[in-house]
Parts: sequence; structure tokens; C-alpha cells
Amino acid sequence: MNRHSSGERLFNVINYILMLLLIIAMIYPFWYLIMASLSDPKLTSLGGLYLWPRGFSWDAYTTVLRDTSFWSGFRVSIIVTIVGTAIGTFLTAMTAYAISKKRLEGRMVASFFILFTMLFNGGLVPNYLLLKELNLLDTLWALILPGTISAFNVFVMRSFFVGLPEEVEEAAKIDGANDLAIFFRVVLPLSKAVLATIGLFMAVMYWNDFFSTILYINSKDKWQLQAVLRNLIDHAVQSSINGPNGDQIQVSAFTVRAASILLATLPILLLYPFLQKHFVKGAMIGSIKG
Amino acid sequence: MTSHAKSLSSSRWKHVKRDRYLYLLLLPGLLTIFLFKYVPMYGIIIAFKEYNILLGVFESPWVGFKQFERLFRTPDFITIFRNTFLISLYKLIFGFPAPIILALLLNELRNGFFKRFTQSVLYLPHFLSWVIFTGIIVAFLNPVDGLVNYILLALDMKPINFMIIPDYFRTLLVSTHIYKEMGWGTIIYLAAMSGVNPDLYEAARVDGANKFKQMWHVTIPSIRSVIYILLILDLGGILEAGFMQVFLLYNPLVYEVADIIDTYVYRVGIQSANYSLATAAGLFKSVIALVLIYTANKIVQKSGNNGLW
Repeated sequence: MNRHSSGERLFNVINYILMLLLIIAMIYPFWYLIMASLSDPKLTSLGGLYLWPRGFSWDAYTTVLRDTSFWSGFRVSIIVTIVGTAIGTFLTAMTAYAISKKRLEGRMVASFFILFTMLFNGGLVPNYLLLKELNLLDTLWALILPGTISAFNVFVMRSFFVGLPEEVEEAAKIDGANDLAIFFRVVLPLSKAVLATIGLFMAVMYWNDFFSTILYINSKDKWQLQAVLRNLIDHAVQSSINGPNGDQIQVSAFTVRAASILLATLPILLLYPFLQKHFVKGAMIGSIKG
Repeated sequence: MTSHAKSLSSSRWKHVKRDRYLYLLLLPGLLTIFLFKYVPMYGIIIAFKEYNILLGVFESPWVGFKQFERLFRTPDFITIFRNTFLISLYKLIFGFPAPIILALLLNELRNGFFKRFTQSVLYLPHFLSWVIFTGIIVAFLNPVDGLVNYILLALDMKPINFMIIPDYFRTLLVSTHIYKEMGWGTIIYLAAMSGVNPDLYEAARVDGANKFKQMWHVTIPSIRSVIYILLILDLGGILEAGFMQVFLLYNPLVYEVADIIDTYVYRVGIQSANYSLATAAGLFKSVIALVLIYTANKIVQKSGNNGLW
């Protein structure tokens, strides 16, 4: 019998074509934005299909990069992402390690205490009132602290720690190390992969966060980049800026919008090829013990 | 206390003492969860109070179910409940099978490099923030210079401002949701599919099963438990209509089809400072979600499959 019948061959051809179309559907929006952002603003008003830039101009990028709110948002997002990810990953690892030990009295109670937050939560208003009563409104801590720990991340890390070989820890214990020393000197160095995975999940969450600014922040100098971006997209209107020779350059709302979207996505797009395998690994550990 | 119980509790105490450093590691995480997850749960009591900003959560007077009566009586309530339910139902009906079908197709790709490349590209939209993603949607649908309307014009049709026409809005929400998340959703199914014994396919082929029959009779049954688990989770989230997405895309012109419980809670609670009423609306949603996930889990367990717990 023929290994590949003609029916199967036809299926394969159609399948590959379908996947190619999907790839184009996923990539084209970015291509479109890149080309539009580099186009001469005078030529974009008609809209349409961009395969290449129409004319060429950096003006949209100049406009965005001269915008002080863009840089302020960038700074806030960098600080929030780094501090939040550092605290969060560390806190998650400590918690997950403790509940990964079967010998720990009260481990089931602690696990349920954490799990329950996945099923039920206080909701928007009580969260807002809590930060208000803690006097954290309009501070960067309001953007950082509520996101530092999530039940999902704790359980992903716990299932990793459960899989670590006992022998390594036993050896350290015989050498007289206590649980703290074992955790910091033995377990953490062995867990770089899962720490990277959870750290990256958190970093993307913090970087993409927009709503915390809307909820908790008033002062414009504490807005996260996504909120600044949203503002730029909403309010980018036909405007003119002063060119290098003092002449007025027309900048269309459309090219500015495209440029700001791309600039805010850049960090994720640049890191994406390297991060992707960690993300997939994390999603799979998480799904096994969901 | 009997001597047995006494020795049990003393050995328990010994264990606690032995593991004191583990408790030290556990404590900061539990405290953080307590503060940022459980204290807000306690804050829900203001749904049964008339919250007064000067009196605070504790001192504000109790009013029983008055906030819920107010909620059920507002003309908006039917609208937001219907919208929340319909949007998430459509997302479930169309969005749930999408990653399964996509995973079945990806699973058939024999070229390793092409398969990995396709997966990488399909996962990408999941990592874009909703701000960026909706920015792209709006850029494409813009009635003046957007791509979609350019195509409509080229086809001799009138440009449509999709963002403000109620008839299109839910379709827009559902389709962009699928576009963003279907690739990422395949990961779990692909992992389950990679565990299927290749001999089963060979046997099916010998029996004359074509590709579709192989998928239906071999692949799908092997990933059934994964499908069930994800279905329970999605049913539990049936009132999660996608707050960020709706919030960033909707506008007063489409409130009648787009306003959901979460956006209502935000507008009434945070913007108009009607804290108690908004908390009641949020609690109403959380309780239904909890009941649904519990029921779905029970049904799956009754049918002889592994549930969530």
C-alpha cells in the first residue's frame, strides 16, 4: 500500500498553504506599521496597502522620541518591570519551595490558601480601596506590589521544585547546611531555567500593564508606557513640528501612531526569539499541574 | 488530653521547629497573598454597606441587600449582564475549538523547521499588550486611512466605521480575540498530541482511515482529558468577557452591545465613586463564576474524567 495516498498529499498541500496564509496574517500588520511609520506623511492620507514606504521620512519617529511623556513612560515601565520582576520571582520561588516539601506541616492548608485566590477574588473596587487605605495611590509601588505574586506562578514553580532530585539537598544537609542555605546555595542555582521562565512571564505582564496606571496613578510623570502610548494613539492628531531648519514639517496622526506602537513593541519583538522557548516551557509546566 | 494526642502534638511541634527555616521562606509570600488577595476579599463586605469615604470599610453602616436591589433595578443591569454573557459565550463557541483545530493542523506539519517557525509566529500576538493590539486594530479599521476600508473602496463599497456600529462590534471582539490567542492556545494541545503513539496512526491508516478520520478517531480521543480541563476553566470564566479588550475598544456609541459587568464596575465604582454598588456588581459576577467552575468540574468528574481537583 502506498504510504502517502493522493488524498493525504492533497491534505498536506492545503495545510501548508493555510499555514503560510496564517503566517502572513500574523506578520503583515507589523510590516504595514513599519512601512507606514517610515512613509512621507503627505502620502499616507489615502491609506491602502503598504508593501514599501511611500516616500521616506523619519519624522514620525522624531516626533515620538521628542515627546517627553514617551520617555517618562519608558522610564517608569523599565523601573516597574525590573523591580516587580525581581521581587516577584524571588517571592514566588521562596513560597513555592516551601510548599514543595511534603514533610512541611500545614503544607496542604498553605497550598489551598494560595489556590483559592485563583477561584475567587475581591475585585476592582476593594483592590482600589486597599491601595487607597495603604496610602499607595499615585506611587510606583501601586504599580509593582499587587502583581508580585500569583497563585499560577507559585504552582508552576512548585511543580518544578518537586521534580528536583532529593539527593543533592540530602548531601548538603549532611554537610550541616540548614534549609535557608540549601535554598539559596543549592536549589536556586539549579533552578535557573524555571526562574528565567517565571521571570519572563512577569516581565511581560509588567511591561504590558496599562490598567494599573488608569486605576492608581494621577501624576503624569508616573504613567506606564502603555498608558502613555494609549494617550498618543488616542490623541495623535494632524500636527506640525519644527524641522531641523526651523521649517514646519507636517506629521500625520497615522504615521505617529504607527511609530509609537512600534517603539513600544520593540523591546518585546527584539527579545521574542530568545524568550519564546522559555515561555513555551513555562506554559507546559503550568498546564501539567494546572 | 490523652497521652497519644499529647505525643502527636509534641512531635508535630518538633516538626515545625525542625522546619522553621522553611516557614521563614513561606511567610513573606503568604503575607503578600493575604494583603493583596484576602484583604480585598474582606473588602467585599462594602457590597452590603453604604460605603462612606470618611468612615472607611469598617465603620460604614450595613444596609443588607440594598445595593443588589439597586443593581438589579438599574436599566443597565440587563444590558451589561446580557452583553457579558453573550460576548463570552461567542468567544467560547468560536474561540474554544480554534486552537484545537489549529493544533491538529500544526501537528500534521512534517517539516520541523517550518513547523517551529509557524508556531513562533503564531504565538507572537499573545505577547502584545492590549493597548498595542487594539492600536493595530484601530489603525486597520480606521474609516479614513485604514487598510480594511481601502479594500472596501477598491471593491466599490462604502467605507464603514466598524468601531461605532453596534452590529459589528461583538464580531470584532470575538474575531480579534481569536486572532490574538489561538496560536498560544495550541501549546497545551500540541504537547498532548506529541504523546500519541505513532503506531495508532499506522494502524488507522492500514484500516483505510483518511487524515480526517485519523484526527477524529485517534488524535482527538487522546487529548480528550486536556480538552475537558480547559473547557472547565473556560466555563468558569464565562463571565470574563475580556475586560482590557472591551475597555480599550468600546465607546458610548456601542455601549448597548459592548458594556460588560467589568466596564460597568469601573465606570460606576472608580469613575463615579459609587463603591458599594460597583462592589455588589463585581461580587455578583464572582459568585456566578465560582458556581459555574464548581458545577463544570462536577459534571466532568461524573462523566468519569479527571477534573481540576
